[in-house]
Amino acid sequence: MSELATLARPYAEAVFKRAKELGNSQEWSDTLAFLSAIMQDESLAAIVNNPRVGEDKLTALLLDICQDQITGEANNFLKLLIENGRLKLLPQIAELFENYKADDEGYVDVDVITAYALTKAEEQSFATSLKKKLNKEINIHASVDKALIGGFLVKAGDSVIDGSISGQLQQLAKRI
Amino acid sequence: MQLNPSEISDLIKKRIENFDVNVEAHTEGTVVSVTDGIIRVHGLSQAMQGEMLEFPGNSYGMALNLERDSVGVVMLGAYQHITEGDTVKCTGKILEVPVGEALLGRVVDALGNAIDGKGEIDTDQMSPVEKIAPGVIARKSVDQPIQLGLKSIDAMVPVGRGQRELIIGDRQTGKTAIAIDAIINQKGTGIKCIYVAIGQKRSSISNVVRKLEEHGAMAHTIIVVASASESAALQFIAPYTGCSMGEYFRDKGEDALIIYDDLTKQAWAYRQMSLLLRRPPGREAYPGDVFYIHSRLLERASRISVDEVEKITGGKVKGKTGSLTALPIIETQGGDVSAFVPTNVISITDGQIFLESDLFNSGIRPAVNAGLSVSRVGGAAQTKIIKKLGGGTRLDLAQYRELAAFAQFASDLDESTRKQIERGQRVTELMKQNQYSPMSVAEMGVSLHAANEGFLDDLEVNKVLDFEAALQSYMKSEHADLLKSINETGDYSNEIKQAIQSAIETFIKTNSW
Repeated sequence: MSELATLARPYAEAVFKRAKELGNSQEWSDTLAFLSAIMQDESLAAIVNNPRVGEDKLTALLLDICQDQITGEANNFLKLLIENGRLKLLPQIAELFENYKADDEGYVDVDVITAYALTKAEEQSFATSLKKKLNKEINIHASVDKALIGGFLVKAGDSVIDGSISGQLQQLAKRI
Repeated sequence: MQLNPSEISDLIKKRIENFDVNVEAHTEGTVVSVTDGIIRVHGLSQAMQGEMLEFPGNSYGMALNLERDSVGVVMLGAYQHITEGDTVKCTGKILEVPVGEALLGRVVDALGNAIDGKGEIDTDQMSPVEKIAPGVIARKSVDQPIQLGLKSIDAMVPVGRGQRELIIGDRQTGKTAIAIDAIINQKGTGIKCIYVAIGQKRSSISNVVRKLEEHGAMAHTIIVVASASESAALQFIAPYTGCSMGEYFRDKGEDALIIYDDLTKQAWAYRQMSLLLRRPPGREAYPGDVFYIHSRLLERASRISVDEVEKITGGKVKGKTGSLTALPIIETQGGDVSAFVPTNVISITDGQIFLESDLFNSGIRPAVNAGLSVSRVGGAAQTKIIKKLGGGTRLDLAQYRELAAFAQFASDLDESTRKQIERGQRVTELMKQNQYSPMSVAEMGVSLHAANEGFLDDLEVNKVLDFEAALQSYMKSEHADLLKSINETGDYSNEIKQAIQSAIETFIKTNSW
């Protein structure tokens, strides 16, 4: 997985820079999301992995699948990936692209997990306090996990703020 | 230490009382792969080099390779329960081990956990395993001796407090024996000893512990064990663990002696880790920084000044210097000192005690090769009496070796050559010493005086040791005061010289050996 990220980085960087030049990063974001979604389709994966399917056929097939969804430059990008045999990197490229985009636009995706569903006001207050802490615009994805028992768990990228009862119980267990 | 249930519940109650609930913020990552004790973790962008990482199941690892998209982690202990996708937490701490007086007399593993079945270690002081050695200003030169209790070493390759003296030799040449004698000889001197066993059989370690207990030397000794069955990571950090425990005594103005038995195995463990972490191999497949693992470890053995001790203890200890003396051990293969690790450690240390299988097999034990063994700084630290008398011994042996080689071909030798050879044979004989019977400065002084003044020359070579034993017991019974005063002052004044001379003369008249 880590090696894949290393391979995917130059592609993601290139796409991001191009998107920024043209100012259509949202469009690219949708395209990449779509492409990575179709790459995760099992029947397509079988075809991509099949050595008997030649480059030409694969290109034709993929362009056919995507014709309504992607534009000229994205077509070229897809061809390039096929030529280099890097189609399988698409999910990573999409992920890295989203990271670059979020970084550039100055917001972070934050997962807020709570034991009980948050009200709108609570979500808002989370957003403001996290904004202060992280110095960035906050994009909250709230979810509910009963296993936390109570409290909350905030995940922003690598960093985790654990204010849940289950987390505290674990701390206590370790201490004893 | 057995606890009864009510004590346990009290303990838990106390822990719960002191437990302050806080929201913890940390960095998380996920396990990508688990191979041979090396774990790759995705994420953990904030991890530090050498940081402890927490894995599920209360197990820990050490971050060693910080790469762009992943972190290479070495597990400390078992890793079989870790699977792909597990979450890994940063602890924000470099590996720490307990230090303090409570460790004396205990056997601990590389993480400082007691493994001798005598209960938990009662100390709340922790110290990071990796520390930077004291700087230039903090140091003081080595000018006090540490007696290893072996004639051949104290007379010819003296070791000072704060020195690093390498013990090097093939397998089965008595390297560990010297180390154990050195520990036994520190009984009653106030010098604390740490014996770090790296990659050894558990049976040999338990033998060492038993021998030390038998000789009453466990009370001032800490034993750190990373046996052959433990993971490479633990074998790698064990010396640093021991060093931190020794530094505790050094930093509070005491003297400590640490023995690393042996650093070859530590280098092997590090090589294993490095190759598994895919660091490029160099000479003998060791990684590029194999020199640094030993140099940074041995650099921590040092003598620190009065001011530094005062500064570290916050003014509690005044007028005392602290020292940590290191005796690293290196095992050579077939006497090859030009292999990679032996040359490295020879160049780092302040001298070496070179042990040879040939000498060992011909009955010269300790099998110290007097020609190749040197001490670069110990001379300044020798007690006066040993310095005066030991110089003669060294010279006698050096001349003897030169002549002995070529005297084999000569049928008749001139008088002076013959005398030198005979003296050499007797001094060589005198340098033999039994295991577990270290000698005091005064005892050594008497023996060396007898050799220097030619009292041995008239004896049969095979009678030398009997003569010495009889002389020592005579001195102990008849001249205990003299021995005591020598041990206290370490002087070799004319009066003392005369006193020893006349004592030996009277002893010879008794003809009792």
